[in-house]
Amino acid sequence: MAVKKGLFKTSVGRKNLMAITGLFIIFFLVIHLIGNLILIIPNSFFPIEFWGGVENVHDMYNAYSHFLVSFWPVTIVAWVLYAAMIIHVVDALLITIQNRKSRGEKYQVTDNSTSTWYSRNMGVLGTILGVFIVLHMAQFWLKYKVLGTEHDLYELVLATFKVWWFVLIYEIGIIAMCFHLIHGIESAHRSLGIYPKKVMSIIKYIALCFSLVMAILYAIIPIILYLK
Amino acid sequence: MALNAKIPEGPLKDKWQNYLAKTRIVNPANRKKLDVIVVGGGLSGGGAAASLAELGYNVKVFFFQDSARRSHSVAAQGGVNAAKNYKNDGDNVYRMFYDTIKGGDFRSREANVYRMAEVSANLIDHMVAQGVPFGREYGGYLSNRSFGGVLVSRTFYARGQTGQQLLLATYQAMMKQIKVGKLTQYNRHEILDIVIVDGKARGIIARNLNTGEIERHSAHALVFGTGGFGKIFYLSTLAMNSNGSANWRAHKKGAYFANPSWTQIHPTALPQSGEHQSKLTLMSESLRNDGRIWVPKNKDENRAPGDIPNDERDYYLERRYPAFGNLVPRDVASRAAKERIDAGHGVGPLKNAVYLDFKTAIEKLGEDTIKERYGNLFTMYEKITAINAYKEPMKISPAAHFSMGGLWVDYELQTTIPGLFAVGEANFADHGANRLGANSLLQASVDGNFILPNTISNYLADDIKTGKISTDTPEFEEAEKAVKDQVTKLLAIKGTMPVDQIHRRLGKIMFKEVAMSRNEKGMIWAIEEIKKLRKEFWENAAVPGNENGPNSELEKAGRLADYLEIAELMTVDALDRKESCGAHFREDYQTEDGEAMRDDENYMYSSAWEWQNGESWKLHKEPLEFTEVKPTVRSYK
Amino acid sequence: MKLTLKIWRQESAKTKGKLVTYKLSDLSSDTSFLEMLDVLNEELASKGEPAVEFDHDCREGICGQCSLVINGKAHGPEEHYTTCQTHLRSFSDGDTITIEPFRANSFPVIRDLKVDRGSMDRIIQAGGYISSFTGMAPEANTIPIHHDIAESAFDSAACIGCGACIATCKNSSAALFVSAKIGHLAKLPQGQIERTERALWMINAHDEEGFGNCSNTGACAMVCPQEVQLLDIARMNFEYNRAKCIS
Repeated sequence: MAVKKGLFKTSVGRKNLMAITGLFIIFFLVIHLIGNLILIIPNSFFPIEFWGGVENVHDMYNAYSHFLVSFWPVTIVAWVLYAAMIIHVVDALLITIQNRKSRGEKYQVTDNSTSTWYSRNMGVLGTILGVFIVLHMAQFWLKYKVLGTEHDLYELVLATFKVWWFVLIYEIGIIAMCFHLIHGIESAHRSLGIYPKKVMSIIKYIALCFSLVMAILYAIIPIILYLK
Repeated sequence: MALNAKIPEGPLKDKWQNYLAKTRIVNPANRKKLDVIVVGGGLSGGGAAASLAELGYNVKVFFFQDSARRSHSVAAQGGVNAAKNYKNDGDNVYRMFYDTIKGGDFRSREANVYRMAEVSANLIDHMVAQGVPFGREYGGYLSNRSFGGVLVSRTFYARGQTGQQLLLATYQAMMKQIKVGKLTQYNRHEILDIVIVDGKARGIIARNLNTGEIERHSAHALVFGTGGFGKIFYLSTLAMNSNGSANWRAHKKGAYFANPSWTQIHPTALPQSGEHQSKLTLMSESLRNDGRIWVPKNKDENRAPGDIPNDERDYYLERRYPAFGNLVPRDVASRAAKERIDAGHGVGPLKNAVYLDFKTAIEKLGEDTIKERYGNLFTMYEKITAINAYKEPMKISPAAHFSMGGLWVDYELQTTIPGLFAVGEANFADHGANRLGANSLLQASVDGNFILPNTISNYLADDIKTGKISTDTPEFEEAEKAVKDQVTKLLAIKGTMPVDQIHRRLGKIMFKEVAMSRNEKGMIWAIEEIKKLRKEFWENAAVPGNENGPNSELEKAGRLADYLEIAELMTVDALDRKESCGAHFREDYQTEDGEAMRDDENYMYSSAWEWQNGESWKLHKEPLEFTEVKPTVRSYK
Repeated sequence: MKLTLKIWRQESAKTKGKLVTYKLSDLSSDTSFLEMLDVLNEELASKGEPAVEFDHDCREGICGQCSLVINGKAHGPEEHYTTCQTHLRSFSDGDTITIEPFRANSFPVIRDLKVDRGSMDRIIQAGGYISSFTGMAPEANTIPIHHDIAESAFDSAACIGCGACIATCKNSSAALFVSAKIGHLAKLPQGQIERTERALWMINAHDEEGFGNCSNTGACAMVCPQEVQLLDIARMNFEYNRAKCIS
């Protein structure tokens, strides 16, 4: 029998692609979080003997931001990240279209007690995240990096999070991210074929803890900045 | 026609090898010119279909289920016997042969039984190679358990789902042959007649159960792996759609039916709990290793089982059979239970069960040990009855289980119609009057995989120049018309009595008089009742719907119409055999203390019945000759 | 007990179906779910009305033929039961019960509650076997297999092929079914020779039959009567990726 389909064209292959791109995005999320945490370093920590010494959080954050946009290896990683995000979204759409087709006629009555709501609604959570990311990038990335209309990113961030509804949008995005991650991390490992029972039960546990920690840390930044 | 069993020459242990050495085979290049139709996709039919396709014949397999993986072989729990002697406990082919002959109460054909034991070892090799996950020892070698009626451990098992695993291996072998194009499957097809051309079985008339179409299919030979007809009792351990119709229609076309009344009644099934019950689930025989069977001594006992003191309980098996106790063979245990229930000591809401009590075993061995041994059975029991059997005794009751009788076949597994072969439970050859546990999977598998493919070639060797069999002949025309007429006739009854209700009534008659305990008066009454019921069926059965498309009531009606005739033959056969042997117990032929009394002088034969146009049956006797063993009295006292 | 049944009636795959309401009374809680449908069909038959067509055979939970979605849950309210093992004691007097067929685009309705699951057969045909012909096998004990491996292979092999996993999956993915067979054979030494092709062919067949993608929600394993585990799906993905890398 001829098996013509490429590595990423079968049902398993498409899920592999979701898993690989998803895990790469998670890797970025960690890096992004570390950078963001600079925003909440208390003033009492300064000056810090770093990069030849920084006086305050304003300088430190702007120096870090400048480094990101000017250091070329980061730019390459960024392009890979954009590609991963686009592939993740397009692949998700293709998978969803196929799944709808496979389902056919819908049940008159459904009982959802056999699975968690977030595992069933990765697409919805993903869409929320997608909208959030567009807003997020329009607010910072577009203004700072692409258009260059804003030069003091720290001030921009601070100003942004003084608006209460902006904080609210962020918190919603982060909650969506949390549930997307809890299921996504476990699911990605299973899709990639990690099958030993012990490993998978550890991964399940790690996925939960990691997602909660990430979400909490991400979530406190806008709140602290709002209150600052 | 005189019966010729075609048993090969030579000493018993050489017969099969002698046969194989001399039988005719078909050149591989010629096999692709030959078509074989297999009816039934279970262990015997499926095994035959896969093996014949592997050999290069063009095979079509028909079954009524939606997939061959659902054939009722799937439900066998305990295991499959094979003379491997892995346990170093003195097992060998002869001992296995002897156990089977003795278990069958010396009413089976020596040469066939020996052959079954001889090829049993090959079967385990074959199934392991196919990926059956048999139970293993910690050293990695195959494990065995022991079963009733034998002194060695020769039963191979895959937890409590051995039948399922063997069937899946067979099913997968079939799927492989479908992929390579040697096998075509016709699922959801029911065989309604066979077609005979020039005295040979050359085709079938089948009904497509999805579309209602009546189809003609031709072949050079037919193989029936159609299973048993125990569902005639309505309440049985069989699947709901298991039926005797294909066999019966073949019988009406000239295939003799042998020992039809020999039905194994299994002692440890779940009792009927209400009028609408459709199925009696089997609980493995192994439970009797640790469970004690009892009934209350008082007739109208209303106390809960735990409140009945020990001295008011009757452990009747231990009382009657002190040597074997609760481990007497199936037929004996079933009969003893019926005797107590009939005497008014039955328990449960319908007073139709006996207790199987694990209290003593739990006290002695601890609940954990019992859980480890029978945990899955206790869970299954709780799923069905909502009763926790660790806390209170199980209620069990005898239920119809296996048809030892079936189409008469010779040593080549060919029926009295040339070109029609029968394998597995559908034939009669190997189990005599009582089947030993774990022998049914064995017989089905070896018949299909190892025996039939080697014997059918002797018949097909004459057909290499025949060419395709046309379905455009008067014979097919006539058979198709008869089938269509019957469908029309059933739909024209337009009565008010649901088919299942008539079937239940037939079951009651049969279970009362033609099951565990039989007597002349009762059976004469039964024949009259069956005839009355048959008349009522044709006058008042409710068969709604039409023939164009799925119509399960029509399917059931067709099967019941046949059961109503099979029932009569079963009773005729049981009436004729004026002795008690194995599962066939005649109250009028018993010893003073109520045990079976065999009559080797007058009944050392298999009864093969010939259909006589519906008027009566003609009995042909196949004498049983025992050259290697000496028939003895089975005693379990 | 009294029950109101809303049963899916559909003439064939080509026609539209709808829920039809029936009322039954005087039922015993010891009656099994399928026996309740027998009672209904007897009532219909005596009135000359066509029976509700549904699939069933062994009625002891092993053949996999029964295939009803009861109140939105494949095989009914109890976890790891088959439809035939479901009894009326799982419901209350006066309940309304909706009964639908196992639905998926690859399970066309034959009539009412009967569906065609031939797509599952065709997946097995693609590679769910070991090509050892009758008569070829070596002596069984020449292939020792560790006790735990045999048991683990059995866990996967226990799949009864009912299709509840597919009916339950929001994507109608057959991942659990396919992985049970791939897992069963990949774990055993006998299955090693064809391991690579089997994974590729069976997953290819799975997709060609039109089944969906696995989202790992785990609903399939929750309804599986034989408790086949999600780990088998991971094992299948591993086998597929391994096959893609080395083939």
